[in-house]
Amino acid sequence: MLYVGYVMFAVVLLVAVIAPIYYGDSATAMTSTRNSGPTGAFPMGTDGLGRDMLARTLVATRVTVLAAISATLLAALAGISIGVGVWLAPRRVREASLRVIEFWVSYPAMLVAIVVAAILGRGILPAVLAIAVANTAGFARLTANLAAGIASRDYVVTARLMGVPVGRVAARHVVPNMAEPLLILIAQAFAGTLVELAGLSFIGLGAQSPAFDWGSLLNEGVKKIYTNPILVVAPATALIFASMAALFIGDGLAAAANPRSNTSRARMLRAPVPAPASAATPVHSDALLVVDDLSVRHNDSGKELVSHVSFTIDRGEVLGIVGESGSGKSVTASVVAKLLAEGLTASAGRLSLAGADLFDNLSRKDLARRVALVYQDPGTALNPALTLGSQLSDVLVKVLGQKRTEARRNLVERFSEVLLTDPEGRLRQYPHQLSGGMKQRAMIASAMSTNAQLLVADEPTTALDVTVQREVLSLIKRMNKEMGTSVLFISHDLGVVRALCDRVLVMKEGEIVERIDDMAHLSPESVKHPYTRQLLAATPVVHVPGAVTAGSEALR
Amino acid sequence: MHTIVDRDDDSSSGSATTASRPAQAGSQAVAASSLAGAWRRFAVRRLIGLVTNIILLIFVTFFIVQLIPGDPASAIAGEDASQAQVDQIRVELGLDQPLLLQLGSYVAHVVQGDFGTSFHYKVPALQIVGAAAPYTISIAFTSLVIFLVIGLALGMAVGIITRGDRHRWLDHSFNIGAGVVSSIPAYVQATILVTVFAVWLALLPPAYSPAYSVVQSAILPVAALSIGCIASIARIVRRETSVILEQDYMRTARGWRLGSGTLYAKHMLPNLLTTALTLSGIILTALLGSTLIVEAVFAWPGIGSVVVQAISEYKDYPVIRASVFMIGTISLVFNLLIDVVLGLVDPRTLGDDRG
Repeated sequence: MLYVGYVMFAVVLLVAVIAPIYYGDSATAMTSTRNSGPTGAFPMGTDGLGRDMLARTLVATRVTVLAAISATLLAALAGISIGVGVWLAPRRVREASLRVIEFWVSYPAMLVAIVVAAILGRGILPAVLAIAVANTAGFARLTANLAAGIASRDYVVTARLMGVPVGRVAARHVVPNMAEPLLILIAQAFAGTLVELAGLSFIGLGAQSPAFDWGSLLNEGVKKIYTNPILVVAPATALIFASMAALFIGDGLAAAANPRSNTSRARMLRAPVPAPASAATPVHSDALLVVDDLSVRHNDSGKELVSHVSFTIDRGEVLGIVGESGSGKSVTASVVAKLLAEGLTASAGRLSLAGADLFDNLSRKDLARRVALVYQDPGTALNPALTLGSQLSDVLVKVLGQKRTEARRNLVERFSEVLLTDPEGRLRQYPHQLSGGMKQRAMIASAMSTNAQLLVADEPTTALDVTVQREVLSLIKRMNKEMGTSVLFISHDLGVVRALCDRVLVMKEGEIVERIDDMAHLSPESVKHPYTRQLLAATPVVHVPGAVTAGSEALR
Repeated sequence: MHTIVDRDDDSSSGSATTASRPAQAGSQAVAASSLAGAWRRFAVRRLIGLVTNIILLIFVTFFIVQLIPGDPASAIAGEDASQAQVDQIRVELGLDQPLLLQLGSYVAHVVQGDFGTSFHYKVPALQIVGAAAPYTISIAFTSLVIFLVIGLALGMAVGIITRGDRHRWLDHSFNIGAGVVSSIPAYVQATILVTVFAVWLALLPPAYSPAYSVVQSAILPVAALSIGCIASIARIVRRETSVILEQDYMRTARGWRLGSGTLYAKHMLPNLLTTALTLSGIILTALLGSTLIVEAVFAWPGIGSVVVQAISEYKDYPVIRASVFMIGTISLVFNLLIDVVLGLVDPRTLGDDRG
């Protein structure tokens, strides 16, 4: 896209340079063929004085593009100077100036241009000035905003503290760091000035006869649209072509500045040949979840994020998976919840949850009944635009088919169970009105409300402070105890996992490196893998009130 | 009154603990119980902003005449004017008075709605502009509603269809198509529309004329104004849609296994609207500018035509001043309108320090 833009723009520049040399005469030469339609000699027709419209359009490129470039550069220069000046000014002046810039920006550029045209009169030069003035505010605002951001960065603060003169700080540290966004704005502003300048000429405030640009040519064409419609084609095409070139460049630069990762879709594959059940995972009848020989690959890079992982979770059991970030633990959880991220492919010998094969197309209702989720960051996991009651009841009403009042009652009850005060009132509140701990409790209440058989909790305590962490852990433990919910608990913190789980898997680089079945006697001596020993040494023991290290004991 | 950042054991639902707290400027959160308060503060802040902006507008319109290079009176009168005519204009515009006195009397008159008498039409300038304003407002407002609705729907649909790199071809062709359309200036779109629908197909009138109904004459101008805006906003909405689809709360909603109707219409749309409306304020400003030019194509009797004629043909400065004031005011009111809708959709924006 960017290169297409460059090529198109190069063509425009080339025409601007060459056309007046070769076609300068034919553009102004009056012939006897007046108001001609498209012919071999005049493919774009002739105007009322018999002048070749194609030649005129090509020749007008120079005036039009030169005017647009001048207006853009004038606006950029003035705007950047004002922006930097505003930033260097004392606080009061700065605030007042920012207000004025806001005022200036909030009006249509065309109105500002008309005001300037009214003051300076008609003509191409006043038009350039008018458009420059109209676009200056945009540059001033962006520069002031960028400068404010950069000014608070460490290296600028340091430079100022070291007594580097303000002007030097601006020139050495502030302006160079704004280059990229300013460049994008220049490309975008050029498209704007081109259209606006031609627009001024189009309404008769720009180029005055005998001077002509695309705008005035288009204007002449529109006046004869009934008698000779071909006349508008050349100037209109030229305008569209040039502004598209500028748009492609502006967009291309902006896209290059913020690359968005290209992902492909997620897929779940059954392993072609079922791998023999490995000896480490004897599948017994009580197993709620069976994961056998699960591997997850990144489609584009082919990198394996999870390699040949097998485990089971029994009914009523709490299984922990511990590992550092990138160990594959969250990816494993997302496969179990059937919410694999885009761009990943999972394959396994067997993947079943409560008697259902996760590779099959399970209905939404079947899935919601089986798995509930609690996420890492309660701050972003809830929809900011909906009230708690509205979003939490959706799964109950629209997926599980409960009545609205029934769902409401269910949630109120769950809210009191997770010790949220004034449950009815909470349901009417928006997420931003609750603290992080309260939001996580609301999420747990939601998980309880669906009565799912498995709770997948992906780092549910990481974003919370220590006291709140403890409450969330006891709530999950209670849910496990009282409702018999099995739990897959993901964490990077062995201390947290140890306080909650019956069994623990330790993952590293996509593989299970250690299986800890005896949580009561967990010690650096009881584990085999050096990585587990490291983890153990690095984590202080967390004491949950009333908790005994043996996970089956109630926490409250 | 703003945030209820109660820690873990807050026993009240908000109003009791927060009512006594002084309102803090800049805080964004708005408690449900104090929504009325947020609206009140919004109204007060925006009213102050509106008044400040109108005062600035009055200053700007005043200086349109004063800043004319050289002697404004002789520049306005033109080269062929006699000394008597120049002097008459000088007196009419008060240019023979000291600057401050001029300003004082200008403000005093403008406050009463008096921008002077039109040089050309010999009636109060505001009367001419007032008669033209409804024409401009009607096509601009209609275009605003149309571009918002269609642009939003289109951008959302493409964003959803192409999520996670599905249908790359659609993504590419949409990007290029919308890019091309949005880069065609509104007055060129107008020209193309006239050529196709008025000249070739002869379905619609090429220009405003009493022979046709206003609605019929308005179709092409509105189309010319909205098409580019639809493409611009659809592009933005499409990008924003893919951003929102990757948000944690959308993952949560998928985790609840919600159907696509609920997922997109209920969980995505409100978040999208906030961005779309915020951006439409900027697009609207450009649209008002285009209106001034597009009116010329269709001989639409709006303020654009009035002000262009006043500048290029009559040097009718009272009318120019009144037009600039009127266009500026329309722009202010439209932006205010968008912010009110924004506040209704997403109460959090009421606390923003915008405008």
